[in-house]
Amino acid sequence: MPLTEQAVETAARRPVLSVQDLKTHFMTDAGIIKAVNGVSLSVGEGETLAVVGESGSGKSVTGLTVMRLLGRTTARVVGGSIEFVDRDGKAIDLLNLSDMGMEKVRGHDIAMIFQDPMSSLNPVFTIGNQIAEPIRIHQGYGKKEARGKALDLLRQVGISDPESRIDSYPHQLSGGMRQRVMIAIALACDPRLLIADEPTTALDVTIQAQIMALLKQLQAERNMAMIFVTHDLKLVDEIADRVAVMYASQVVEEGPVDQVLGHPRHPYTKALLECIPSRRDAQGERRQLHPIPGTLPNPLSPPSGCRFHPRCGFAADICIASDPELEAVTSDHVTRCLRWQEVAL
Amino acid sequence: MSEQADIERPAAEFRAQPLLSARGITKHFGNDGGMFSKASAPIRAVEGVDLDIASGEVLGVVGESGSGKSTLGRLVLRLIEPTSGTVSFDGKDLCSLQTGEMRRFRRHMQMIFQDPFSSLNARMTIGDALVEPIALHLGLRGQAARDAAVGVLERVGLHADHMKRYPRMFSGGQRQRIAIARALASSPRFIVADEPVSALDVSVQAEVINLLQQLQKELGLTLMFISHDLSVVEVITDRVMVLYLGRVMELAPTESLYGNPAHPYTAALLQAAPGMISVKKHILKGEIPSPANPPSGCVFRTRCPFAIDACAHTVPTLRPVGPDHLKACIRDDIEL
Repeated sequence: MPLTEQAVETAARRPVLSVQDLKTHFMTDAGIIKAVNGVSLSVGEGETLAVVGESGSGKSVTGLTVMRLLGRTTARVVGGSIEFVDRDGKAIDLLNLSDMGMEKVRGHDIAMIFQDPMSSLNPVFTIGNQIAEPIRIHQGYGKKEARGKALDLLRQVGISDPESRIDSYPHQLSGGMRQRVMIAIALACDPRLLIADEPTTALDVTIQAQIMALLKQLQAERNMAMIFVTHDLKLVDEIADRVAVMYASQVVEEGPVDQVLGHPRHPYTKALLECIPSRRDAQGERRQLHPIPGTLPNPLSPPSGCRFHPRCGFAADICIASDPELEAVTSDHVTRCLRWQEVAL
Repeated sequence: MSEQADIERPAAEFRAQPLLSARGITKHFGNDGGMFSKASAPIRAVEGVDLDIASGEVLGVVGESGSGKSTLGRLVLRLIEPTSGTVSFDGKDLCSLQTGEMRRFRRHMQMIFQDPFSSLNARMTIGDALVEPIALHLGLRGQAARDAAVGVLERVGLHADHMKRYPRMFSGGQRQRIAIARALASSPRFIVADEPVSALDVSVQAEVINLLQQLQKELGLTLMFISHDLSVVEVITDRVMVLYLGRVMELAPTESLYGNPAHPYTAALLQAAPGMISVKKHILKGEIPSPANPPSGCVFRTRCPFAIDACAHTVPTLRPVGPDHLKACIRDDIEL
């Protein structure tokens, strides 16, 4: 990826979003689930940050916390900060923004798309209506102009014959087309940041390839920042500049994609990579898959010390006793492993 | 899950005596107009598929949603009746069997589903769920049946303690192990696995793939492995069938299919799959057409970058392009 270096520089210069030490906890009858526990992330203009992890790692909750879409009765942000830089270069503290203020940001400055476009679209309104809504609310367009803009957006997201599609209802469209409509809605107000939460997981590979190409193209055209949440490491390689690997509510490794996936410095990243079925090697031999031993920790009572130590092949006594902090491997690559310098990954 | 050295099979030799074969198997869903509905064009889910699976072979079936791969899996097990065509298992014509005979026959052929949350009965303990097929198919009762159940449970890496527990007490990966144990309980020879690892996290997925491979080798199982995930299929199969709109586009030994795809659709699938081929020459445009109204001639021509006029007029037949390698495409002059 030739863009990486340039993108990292841009990120250092003009961050769009920076999350510091974020803690989102769920209050349940069984106890407190620390779903996000000290997560720091940042993403700059024109940059894509992938957040990757298995189910329950906290990757989606991180995105939802940024959007402030979690229910207040159960989810509490108990620490950290989320800073967003708007179009005029003004920093906004999202966690302390009023509900009204947040409504102005949501859909206008920061947009989000989800895995399942069927349940995120309203079944009783036409797609034209749903695309025009944010344009009318956030940009004050009239009905007619908004419809014109909606048509234009449908064209941009690659829906053929938009004039006849604009009055369709979501159930009349295929899964791939619904996801294109979701992208059109998300991009309607030209957001500075797009959070895409597993946007292609429910789609066929051929349609996935179309949507990935579309997201890349639209992002480049708009110089938008993007957080791409996924469980699929293979997609990370295709779309992202940097990647944050999450395990048990924490970021365990973060850095440029080619460094993290090419030379992982955390045993969990390495283990995840070895689970992926890959092409055969030069001799045509099939490579053996190496599953990670054990299971994901119980979120109510995560293990002491390093969260990954019960499943880690390199765990030593120190890993049980002390909590690892993120340590710098290079200037832009960090790992949360006490033994990263000793172990040969 | 120790060493699993790969046995290279002389495929053609194996298939001289197929365990399962299907000839011209076709399934149309649809209504011919009942009391309340108008007749509509039938959904042509599977259209004239010929298939031979050798004993001990793992055949992959790939294609997009709507390509008919799950319907094909159900047809070869006779879980649904074909509109036309025949399926024979070990030389016996399945479609000629009466209901009772078919039920007895089922011990030889089982199925594993995608979602281990909905394929296990939530109100049945694991023990009961396993003892049921053992009693039904193997005629064992009481302690003997329970011992047999513990036996299969241990085969899939669980143990006797788990017999009294309910499905909700297990993780997704463990549940899929239980679903596999249940399929193995009647000592079948043939299993259709329909997207068995698609709902699982990668680390758990690797575990279940290794388990399936190990069981297949130890028990000499014949497997039809249906999946949309091309990288998983490459790992586990000996041969792969590529379906599009219910028709076979390409059928080849796994290595030659992945190394040397002959059909434009296969090539497009491999390019679309993340992490497979880095140079994306053609991103396939459009979506799979409605199986109620498939294109004339070659069904893939509407999305094919190499389509010519002739493709609209002739239905391409499967023809050999290499050893054991068949494709249904009339063009030989294309570079994929």
